[in-house]
Amino acid sequence: MKMTRVSFEINNEKVSLDVRPYETLLETLRERLMLTGAKEACGMGSCGACTVVMNGIPVRSCLVLAPEADGAVITTVEGLRQDGKLHPLQQAFMEKGAVQCGFCTSGMIMTAKALLERNKKPTKKEIIKTMSSNICRCTGYKKIIEAVEEAAKKI
Amino acid sequence: MNNEFNIVGKRVVRSDSLAKVTGEARYTADLKFPNMLVAKVLRSPHPHAKILKIDCSKALKVPGVKAAVSGFDSYGVKWGVFRYTQDHAMLHTDKVRYIGEDVAAVAAVDEETALEALSLIKVDYEPLPAVFDPFESMKDGAPQIHSEYKNNVNIHIHIDVGEVDKAMEKAFLVREDTFKAAGEAYAMMEPYAVVALFKNGYLDLYMPNAGPHVRAKALSNMLKLPLNRVRIRHINSGGAFGGRSEVAPGDLVASLLAIKSGQPVKLVLTREENATASRQVHDIVATVKTGMKKDGTILAKDYKVVYDGGAYSSTGPIATSIPFYVYEECYRFPNVRYNGYRVFTNKGIRGMYGCHGRAFLAGNESQMDLMAKELGLDPVDVRLKNGLKPGEVTATKSKITSCGLKETILEASEKTNFRKKWAKPSKRKGIGMGCVAIMCGFPMGFRSGSSAYVKINDDGQVTLVTGLVDNGQGNESMVIQVASEVLGVPMEDINLVCADTEVTNLDPGAYSQAAAFVGANAVRVACENARKRIVAIAAEKLGIKETEVGLKDRAAHSIKHPDKKMPISWVVREAFFRGEPIVATGSFFPHIDFEREWVTRPWGQMAGTFSFGTSVAEIEIDQETGKIKMPKFTSAHDCGRPINPMAVEGQMEGSIQQAGVAALTEGNLWDKGHLLNPNLLEYKVPLACDMPEIDTIIVSSRDPAGPFGAKEGGLTIRMNAYSAVACALTNATGELFTELPLTPDKVLTVLERKKGVK
Repeated sequence: MKMTRVSFEINNEKVSLDVRPYETLLETLRERLMLTGAKEACGMGSCGACTVVMNGIPVRSCLVLAPEADGAVITTVEGLRQDGKLHPLQQAFMEKGAVQCGFCTSGMIMTAKALLERNKKPTKKEIIKTMSSNICRCTGYKKIIEAVEEAAKKI
Repeated sequence: MNNEFNIVGKRVVRSDSLAKVTGEARYTADLKFPNMLVAKVLRSPHPHAKILKIDCSKALKVPGVKAAVSGFDSYGVKWGVFRYTQDHAMLHTDKVRYIGEDVAAVAAVDEETALEALSLIKVDYEPLPAVFDPFESMKDGAPQIHSEYKNNVNIHIHIDVGEVDKAMEKAFLVREDTFKAAGEAYAMMEPYAVVALFKNGYLDLYMPNAGPHVRAKALSNMLKLPLNRVRIRHINSGGAFGGRSEVAPGDLVASLLAIKSGQPVKLVLTREENATASRQVHDIVATVKTGMKKDGTILAKDYKVVYDGGAYSSTGPIATSIPFYVYEECYRFPNVRYNGYRVFTNKGIRGMYGCHGRAFLAGNESQMDLMAKELGLDPVDVRLKNGLKPGEVTATKSKITSCGLKETILEASEKTNFRKKWAKPSKRKGIGMGCVAIMCGFPMGFRSGSSAYVKINDDGQVTLVTGLVDNGQGNESMVIQVASEVLGVPMEDINLVCADTEVTNLDPGAYSQAAAFVGANAVRVACENARKRIVAIAAEKLGIKETEVGLKDRAAHSIKHPDKKMPISWVVREAFFRGEPIVATGSFFPHIDFEREWVTRPWGQMAGTFSFGTSVAEIEIDQETGKIKMPKFTSAHDCGRPINPMAVEGQMEGSIQQAGVAALTEGNLWDKGHLLNPNLLEYKVPLACDMPEIDTIIVSSRDPAGPFGAKEGGLTIRMNAYSAVACALTNATGELFTELPLTPDKVLTVLERKKGVK
């Protein structure tokens, strides 16, 4: 199998590695970089559990081919903690009880992070609209929306 | 209430949430071991076919393939929850019974190699006639799916209490209606996955499961290994909802491949495989006949309920019974007859579901409203009149101890101004109420109880060991909170070791609503036993009576003179000096009638206690398109004393999504044996934008036997939210639903019917 060299910045570190040309970014993250925070729940972009932030945009890493990420700046849930301190979204998800089984959580948090980066003071309606890109089977979303509202206040 | 305890009853951050928000929490598919192989399963393309031959020889020649297995490599031991339902070999040598059934599997160095090998396995089938509808399946001459079940009737539950026919004659008003509902998808976010390792005759397994001990026992039988050589390990679980209670075909497949290859094996199902080949939910047709007195008192109920059971027994007798029981645990039925039939069809394995039985429950509740209306009564009064009260006994002889049903009905109706809104519906708007009860645990023989072990380490930190498992609902955090309360140490001082069959003791698991009432109770008892030992030494050292010792903030103190205190760690060290370390076990066994049997003796005490709940849905119907909007949803739940109210609210909110909003969108669609919507694009799990404004009310009662008065938290809403939606439709239209989910096409049918009547 012919491999392709890709280089990108991930969680503030530069990496360069060989991938299969048809490999998804999700596979690269999980299998080669051991970043298993992003989850594969559907494999077809319908659920958002694999969301990471690429060049400021929340992307479904199961729909991005690894070579497409060449030169990109990527943040995954593992890269949110700064100097050992939790990101306000992580803190709010815990305190508001927005986490149950946790399988959708990293995708939810990364989707919310991208939202708060481009819209510092989103309305509740905007939060609901954005978070509707991701599926959660446990929570009924109420506490997830509350957590994003809470984090928005603190950022 | 919060003054009474240090931590029980407080809104605490769940102990498992830190690892989950940082991405550090490990799930089965995240695991990696040296030399681990990837497994893939070859599945049946036929709904029903004889297996003539399975040839894996070409697959084994592909470089990188380390093992291949089929039914011919297994012992052929058939799994069944009961001795009389052992009909599922999981890998077969005789025939396949549904599309997607596991036929053979390979383990290879990577996924591509495994898939290539899979394409080289040759299976010769002889297709057989198949049957997909349970009513067709019951007819004489229908294809026989299992030779030992005549007319494909897997289970017949027959309950007959009082004199139903006579009571119907006496009734002022009698109504009979039939309701249908499509089975839902569990749609847990984590697709099923198994990691198996086999070393020196010992098998280690990781998989999302709702009961590690029962899983280990099943695999020990199927693999003919002693129980202590099949170890189910702790791992996070990405949701279960009833779909991960039993041993799964993938468990056997991964185990056989690991044994054969001698290398670790990981099997991860795709979303589509998860929907077609793990577990599915029963499609149900329920005929409900009710006789009522003029004052709204239910005199008699007569039921015929047909469950599309798919290809195997699975939890058959339980699944065929539960909808009836959760209803008889809620209302008084002096005369009742229930005929539940679970019928085999050539579809996937059907298991229990957190929202199980919506055709039956929503049918009963909406029919009751229509009858009440005819009698000039309102739904609140009818429910209060027929609802069970503390101390009453159900039709099948279960005694109800604590019961806040009345309070949930009153609080939910007052909060929503229910009576007024219900009395004046518009054709566009409706309001509806659904009630139900839930058994906190059900009879599982000696597995009905739980035991726990606690040790206090020399620094005063605590290790707690229990077989209890968490599928995301917060069971781990709950027992840590209970232990923290009893031992007077903060939650972060407690390390929980759970759901690991070689270390932990039996526990009923997380699928019979037993975790709070049974599992947490065992933890409470173990910690109380340890506490007694701490208190005895502290009393001696502090020179006070044992009754005067309190434990708080890692210290034993005098209740009278709080300044007089010593750290618990000192007490522990003293105990070590005496050669009697502070360790304790504790167990809890609920008061259940173990003569009770689902088919042959369906009466006697079902569970140690019951929880109760009421939901109210408010809907708006677009008359032109049939689309229902749901602006508001209110639920009230008697969960005893909530140990963590935030976690209970989370369960209630999730239930409103999974049962309430799902009543508008969710249902599996079939074309004969093909599941048409096996993914999350075509199967409509409600999103944030689909959710109503939610109001949850915890009606706090004190169960006399529950840990700190607690009972099951949340499931009543999961089994009454759809009823509230169906009743709201009835309120708006004056018509009953005929089929769930209430997608626009089905709503239009109801609206057309109403026009036709005019």
